[in-house]
Amino acid sequence: MNNTKYNGTAIALHWLVAVFIVVAFAVGQYMADLELSPWKLKIFAWHKWAGVTIFLLVLYRIYWRLTHPVPALPASMSENMKKGSGVTHLFLYLLMVTIPITGWLHSSAAGVSVVYLNFIPLPNLIDKNKELSDLFKEVHESLNWALLGLVIMHVAATLKHQFMDKDNLLDRMRFSGKCK
Amino acid sequence: MTALYRTTLIGLALLWAQSASAAVLLDKSEIRFICKQMGAPVEGRFKIFDADVVFKPTDLPHSHAKISIALASIDLASDESETEVKGKNWFNVTHFPQAVFQSTSIKALGGENYEVHGHLALKGITQDIVVPMKIHTLSGMQVAEGSYSLMRTVFKIGEGTWADPDTVAEEVVVKFKMILAH
Repeated sequence: MNNTKYNGTAIALHWLVAVFIVVAFAVGQYMADLELSPWKLKIFAWHKWAGVTIFLLVLYRIYWRLTHPVPALPASMSENMKKGSGVTHLFLYLLMVTIPITGWLHSSAAGVSVVYLNFIPLPNLIDKNKELSDLFKEVHESLNWALLGLVIMHVAATLKHQFMDKDNLLDRMRFSGKCK
Repeated sequence: MTALYRTTLIGLALLWAQSASAAVLLDKSEIRFICKQMGAPVEGRFKIFDADVVFKPTDLPHSHAKISIALASIDLASDESETEVKGKNWFNVTHFPQAVFQSTSIKALGGENYEVHGHLALKGITQDIVVPMKIHTLSGMQVAEGSYSLMRTVFKIGEGTWADPDTVAEEVVVKFKMILAH
């Protein structure tokens, strides 16, 4: 077992989800302040489709992560740093699951169903209720800021490992090299 | 004729007049609609409406219904969308505050099924429409339910940039449930 690198599927899922999150986050930021127009409705629909896609990919990622070995962290890392890394990753997964769900709840409570890719109707999670809709909108947005914070930490930690510790931790998640 | 006797007579006459026509229990009745936005169903309703209904299965020629909807009482996805649909491109509530349906005849289709023919006046446009209706009894009250598929552009609902049916579909399904108490 090559324990220095994630396997190909895990690497592909990581980067695919990363790209979708960056796009969905940017679109979410852009659309929130738009004036109501057909364009805004289109953008909202696409944002929801991106969210559903992320949700499905993340569920598969979690399944994959739980059924496949994870490469060990560098021995040079202290126990506290390892713990910190574990907690950060746990919260990243937690947010990747709860953010799409709160978006779905927000949409359901607004009385707007989600039809994934204009093709697969998703059930409404709750009945129409404007107060709840506003509440879930706030929660959805706040969780996104929390995610942004964690992603910044995640990237900063990678850069620290790469350029300060020089332990080449980034290689675990790189496409190049041996994939197993 | 004593005053008491006269009062009793008037009282009885009033009672009789009331029992002859059904009153609509407005707080238990509802007018909802579903439109499609980017292929996804969006629900809404009108909170304020008035209904003047006389429904006698045995006397359909004298049965009739008039429903007036206060369009500004719309309940939609968000404050932003409610403000938008009250505006000029949609209902234009400042000029056309109400939608009014007035029946002209009611036909029995057998069983609990009926067909209500009438005019729908919305945003200055009046159209003859036919609304299918089902009547059933629930704890002594008549319940009239039905739905009507409205083509929004017929009534110029959603003009200008909103006319494109790919974003907001042409068809809006209006569902009503009226509870009639005797």
